[in-house]
Amino acid sequence: MLGRVEASHLVKEFRGYKRREGAWGAVRDLFQREATTLRAVDDVSFTVEPGEMVGYIGPNGAGKSTSVKMLTGILTPTSGSARVNGFDPYRDRMAYTRTIGAVFGQRTQLWWDIAVVESFRLLKQIYEISDADYKARMKRFDEILELNRYLNQPVRKLSLGERMRCDMAAALLHNPPLVFLDEPTIGLDLLAKESIRRFLQEINAGLGTTMLLTTHDLADIEQLCNRLMIIDHGRVLFDGPLHSLKGMLWRETQVRFDLKDPEHAAPLRTLEFEGVRLEETDPLTWRASFDREQYAPGEVIRQVVAAVDVRDIAIEEESIETIIRRIYTGGAIPSLDKARTR
Amino acid sequence: MSAVAQTARHYGEFARIGFVNILAFRLRYYTGIVTYLINVTVYYFIWKALYAADANFAQGFDFAEMVTYVAVGWVIRSVYFNNIDANIATDVQSGNIILTMLKPTTVLARYLGQSLGEAAFRLVLLTAPTAVIVALIFPLQAPASPLHAAAFLASLAGSVVLSGALNFIVGAFALEMKSILGLLRAKFYVQELLSGLLLPMTMFPPALQSVLAWLPFEHVAYTPLRIYLGKLNGAELWTALAAEWAWAAALLWAGSWFWGWMARETTIQGG
Repeated sequence: MLGRVEASHLVKEFRGYKRREGAWGAVRDLFQREATTLRAVDDVSFTVEPGEMVGYIGPNGAGKSTSVKMLTGILTPTSGSARVNGFDPYRDRMAYTRTIGAVFGQRTQLWWDIAVVESFRLLKQIYEISDADYKARMKRFDEILELNRYLNQPVRKLSLGERMRCDMAAALLHNPPLVFLDEPTIGLDLLAKESIRRFLQEINAGLGTTMLLTTHDLADIEQLCNRLMIIDHGRVLFDGPLHSLKGMLWRETQVRFDLKDPEHAAPLRTLEFEGVRLEETDPLTWRASFDREQYAPGEVIRQVVAAVDVRDIAIEEESIETIIRRIYTGGAIPSLDKARTR
Repeated sequence: MSAVAQTARHYGEFARIGFVNILAFRLRYYTGIVTYLINVTVYYFIWKALYAADANFAQGFDFAEMVTYVAVGWVIRSVYFNNIDANIATDVQSGNIILTMLKPTTVLARYLGQSLGEAAFRLVLLTAPTAVIVALIFPLQAPASPLHAAAFLASLAGSVVLSGALNFIVGAFALEMKSILGLLRAKFYVQELLSGLLLPMTMFPPALQSVLAWLPFEHVAYTPLRIYLGKLNGAELWTALAAEWAWAAALLWAGSWFWGWMARETTIQGG
């Protein structure tokens, strides 16, 4: 089925050799080497339905790229299988690649020294796009990305943002039902990021294009993806909506109190409040941190306001960055075991 | 669309973009003309000195023929020469090869197609002016007959494909070895020598000659040059031409098979 990704028990192992240290070690390596096996992807299974926008994240070396390479047919799995758009990506490569698009933020598929439009004409021929479709799509891309300004410029003269817009259009020119996006906003300024995200949203909403996005920019995920997959050490640690990740791992709420007068802070120093940490950031600012399951912010605020005069109050959630950092550093793994039910 | 028509279209399209792409570097070709002229001149004087010492130096070629051999040899080298191996090596090393592998086309069409476009470009901007200038400076012989001229062009076309296929196979090693600069350099000298460009095959030791006759390399330069000079006639000519094209076709097939085999267990570098 077009636009659908199925990975079942994907495993990829790489064989390598241990290297000894130093010059003598290098000489010994010539004669006898110790083989090692690295399990880059370890039993990964998931399904992406047509039209979904899925964020696929993980620290460097987590197995993201390797699994994406298996899904795109560049690598064969050691075991397990993938079925994407109804094809076996590796075995049906020719037919399969017609149905996918790919964008790599760190690479360009455009020919560097010649006008952008030449690359588009090449793609038109390779994907056998009719003149009418080509015109209609180029017009639409121009409306969102303002492509026409750059079309006759050589790629090397474009800024990164301009080049990325062109690369986006190039990847979507044949209207693929599924697009792989690998760090599509890397290195871009805020406006260019906005423009790329708006483009992806419009394509997804208008054409129902499935998108699998790997990124280190969590704003991409927050703005684009209704579903998040976190992978580390070759395994899927979390698979679900972003808000449920927050619900599961967002432990602590902070409330910031700005005092009217530092002289009146004395009652706060003696306020006994079980499970709440009250800390003085500076003479005018105090922070209360507490477990969000134990207290609602309102209860904490009521107690504090009763004790001192407060000028301003702000409730501070843990940022998604903090939550994800906790996952990467391993602190959140136990609570994530529950999450692996999907 | 039939598979053949589709493949032809892909080659045509990559050739077009190769042609357009190289336009960006046209300045390089004005210097190229000078380089080729220097090469022809250097070899002219070397051969002149050798023939002064021994009028029968290169067995089977007199001095007038040898001058033509060298001049025409370098002129056609400007057509059949290509950088497919180095291009593939660069793209494998940077990981950009992945972009071609994700397209509904073949890596062979991508690189050979591009190099055909470049060859067409050089034919006009490098080969033709070099040929005219060389012909004005050096005492060259015309092709042995109109038939030999036609067969020479067919053989030159074969050289382009053959040299492309050979370089593609060398480039495919990059998939496994990651860095093949050493291999590329070694291949460059072996190919220059064994193609017959630097020395006619008659100057190799007889045992080596009979081995080389069974290999594809000498068809790149030696076969078209012998046809041009009228050293091959009748059945011999057609056999050589057929052998050249058979090698070209076989190596194309082998190259695309070899790529598929190498790509099966490879890891493309970079994220």
